[in-house]
Amino acid sequence: MTTEIIYSAVGEAIRTEAERVLADGTVAAVVGYTMARRKGSAQPVVLTKPEEANQLIFSAACVNNLAVYLTKAKKELPREGRIGIVVKSCDLKALVGLLGESQLKRDSLYIIGVPCVGVLGSTLQPSVELNAETVADKCRECDDRMPQGADFVPTVALPASPALEKKYAVEIARLEAMTPAERWSYWQEQFSKCIKCYACRQVCPFCFCEQCLCDRNKPQMVEGTPRPAGNLAWHLVRAMHLAGRCAGCAECERVCPMDIPLNLLNRKMSRELKELFHSEAGFEVREKGPLAEYNEQDDQSFIK
Amino acid sequence: MSRVGVFVCHCGENIARTVDVERVARAAEQLPGVAFATDYKYMCSDPGQGLLKRAIAEQRLSHVVVAACSPRMHERTFRKAVEQAGLNPFLCEMANIREHCSWVHEDREEATTKAIEIVGMLVERVKKNRVLPTITVPVTKKALVIGGGIAGIQAALDIADAGHQVVLVEREPSIGGHMAQLSETFPTLDCSQCIMTPKMVDVANHPNITLHTYSEIEQVDGYIGNFQVTIRKKARSVDEQKCTGCGVCLTKCPQNKIPNSFDCNLGTRSAIYVPFPQAVPNIPVIDREHCTRFKTGKCGVCQKVCGPGAVDFEQQDRLLVEPVGAIVVATGFNLYSIDEKPKGSEIKGYGEFGHGRIPDVIDGMTFERLASASGPTGGKILRPSDGKEPRQVVFIQCVGSRAREKGISYCSKVCCMYTAKHTMLFKHKVHDGQAYVFFMDARTPGKSYDEFWRRSIEEEEAVYIRGMVSRLYQKGDKVVVMGSDIAVGVQVEIEADLVVLATAIMPRQGADSLAQKLGISYDKYHFYSEAHAKLKPVECATAGIYLAGACQGPKDIPDTVSQASAAAAKVMTLFAKEQLEREPVVARVSEKNCVGCFSCRKVCPYGAVEEKEIWDRNGKLIKTVAYVNPGVCAGCGTCQATCPSKSVELDGYTDEQIVAMIEAL
Repeated sequence: MTTEIIYSAVGEAIRTEAERVLADGTVAAVVGYTMARRKGSAQPVVLTKPEEANQLIFSAACVNNLAVYLTKAKKELPREGRIGIVVKSCDLKALVGLLGESQLKRDSLYIIGVPCVGVLGSTLQPSVELNAETVADKCRECDDRMPQGADFVPTVALPASPALEKKYAVEIARLEAMTPAERWSYWQEQFSKCIKCYACRQVCPFCFCEQCLCDRNKPQMVEGTPRPAGNLAWHLVRAMHLAGRCAGCAECERVCPMDIPLNLLNRKMSRELKELFHSEAGFEVREKGPLAEYNEQDDQSFIK
Repeated sequence: MSRVGVFVCHCGENIARTVDVERVARAAEQLPGVAFATDYKYMCSDPGQGLLKRAIAEQRLSHVVVAACSPRMHERTFRKAVEQAGLNPFLCEMANIREHCSWVHEDREEATTKAIEIVGMLVERVKKNRVLPTITVPVTKKALVIGGGIAGIQAALDIADAGHQVVLVEREPSIGGHMAQLSETFPTLDCSQCIMTPKMVDVANHPNITLHTYSEIEQVDGYIGNFQVTIRKKARSVDEQKCTGCGVCLTKCPQNKIPNSFDCNLGTRSAIYVPFPQAVPNIPVIDREHCTRFKTGKCGVCQKVCGPGAVDFEQQDRLLVEPVGAIVVATGFNLYSIDEKPKGSEIKGYGEFGHGRIPDVIDGMTFERLASASGPTGGKILRPSDGKEPRQVVFIQCVGSRAREKGISYCSKVCCMYTAKHTMLFKHKVHDGQAYVFFMDARTPGKSYDEFWRRSIEEEEAVYIRGMVSRLYQKGDKVVVMGSDIAVGVQVEIEADLVVLATAIMPRQGADSLAQKLGISYDKYHFYSEAHAKLKPVECATAGIYLAGACQGPKDIPDTVSQASAAAAKVMTLFAKEQLEREPVVARVSEKNCVGCFSCRKVCPYGAVEEKEIWDRNGKLIKTVAYVNPGVCAGCGTCQATCPSKSVELDGYTDEQIVAMIEAL
């Protein structure tokens, strides 16, 4: 029940703030969540008038990372003026990454951060209570629930995070214990499920290319049809392109209709980056990413 | 429709020995788009190039593949030939069937198959080559010379005499380098200072030379013809403009017992010092580590006695930026300090020789200072322990050098000659003395060198013992040398008064970090690498950077001077042109696909990527994309590998071409 009380207070605060910034002309639009048709469900919304601000909500069903509205889906937004955006701290990390990659300018954003105690793992039953069973896997490992560096964050006290089983960590440990051959066959099996719908690409805030490498045909880099070789190529490209950038909003995994554990691969890559380059995505706007930086103190033991 | 011509080279026996070149040519003929294929013994020779040019005209060829050596070797040769025949030079590609095939394989059948496949790949690639116009960039006609030893001085003087501006940067307070430390020089025994100091003065007085002593290279940006060099002028604590070089400060400085490194720590100097009396510029430096003023804040005697008021304790390091068109690297050498094992090095050290522990075991440079008329003993050979004149001196050659088991396998080249010179200098000063030399071989290639060596034995009575020394130890006031004479097959022991070690020549400390700033390559000992061991001995693989002297490998003075003049000639050749032609193999951005993430800019080592704004007709900014400045791009392709959306491609190496090559396999 506490979750509902917290989220309704959060909702109230962001409605007031959205109305204020729309009314005084701080922003041209606010991207946030509103109620969807099914009871308890939520969907993204773009508001441009102060009187629309009362449509904003925040609940455990507000799963989407709205950062895509600033890049791929920016046609939905007015072309000029500052944009307000409602973000959870996991979504905020994507904004931080996009700022570092010259895709966004900080002064053209008005970031409305929401204190978050977790969202649902699945929105198939949107009115289900948020608890240790229903919470999303990414929220189990989340340790910063108050967005840092936002322009506005409602003052809401959050209860201490409950100790939940870290499913990604457990799963990575399980995979790491496998032999390379076993691990290979595990991923081959996972990727063989892929139907190349590219939902993971469409929802990812970091897949902002205007023409994806996978849609190229001269030369064709990745086979388009959902056959094993092309599937493998696509998922390798995706994992590599996200290495050092993905901060784990887990949207790819949420939208995958075939239940491929995509964020598991991302978390593994992220751990590698942390161990090898002491780099974690999403905390600061960086001029260079870990893979583009060189200094003489870098570990060079891999050079034989 | 392409009409590709394929020209297969035998390279004498180099390729033809392992590859059936005729079969390669016959197979190439069958490839789609190939109009003509042939083989020839030496394709790069005049008749070979003539054959190629004739075929282009007669067969109306549109593209050319030369199956021969590495493009590093002859791509330029064949592109020039193709150009003379009227084709754009970038429609010619090399298929490397020598380094990549014949040299690394033994089986003729398999090597031939591989050569055919390599040719097939290059045919597919060349068909997609575009006509590229040459890019021209302006040349800054000013050279940077790094290092003010004899190599740097010679190069600077030659370039300056040709009428070009030169910036000479020296790390020490004076130019002169090691040659200023030597007593006499082989093979003529003329005094080193007497031939060196006039050149040093010429540098100081030359209107075209700007001298920065006590300075180091901080950063190097840019490319051939257009480098931007940041020089750190270290705080001298003496105003160079005001100082008259009167030297009063040196005599009044109370801190005057500091070992003088110019004299290999045998003599002493004051905290404010010039390294040696003939220093250029004759302007002192305050050694802040030893100066009382800098250590305790008290003193300041030098400032009080300085008439012109040149002493400035507040002086800070200054950074200067110099635009230059070419760089000569002449950073010289260090003697291998054998007393201890260098940290993190494969070199093992010579603990058994007691260098650093036994005072009368010295290295060759220390002997030079003892023998020098301007040295700490005024030219008398006096041993360091008790100042007595030694009677028996043992010289040991190849200490460090040619000792694979100790970590260095090269020959230091000058030690045989300078040891012979040392025995003579010793005999000339101590008439009843006896010199012994332990040696492996006497290597005396050079004009009048062998005669000089023979003279040391036949006229100056040095005893040469072929064999190595196992151990040195102190016994009373003698140093016992335990060695073997392999010519006679006996163990020998000599009780010496002084032992001189001919230690190996190594590159300057920090040679590797300077190379990283310059973007030039070096070998495992940190000697700088030339672009080609035989045909490009003074050029670096990085265009516009040239090498002179011992930084490239051990060298004596005549070789160093020759190489310095050669480097200067290369600089002058570059400066003879108003515009520099650059290879147009540069990266191009597809503005349609670029999303402006600037990953390319983050990885570009040349700073070639700029921002470009795309506006619509109503004056609204559509997007900001990457733009590659073709004058700066060096065509390394790092951006192409990095771009997530594959929106940047290198001409001649497009993804389409690479995929076509793979598909041809």
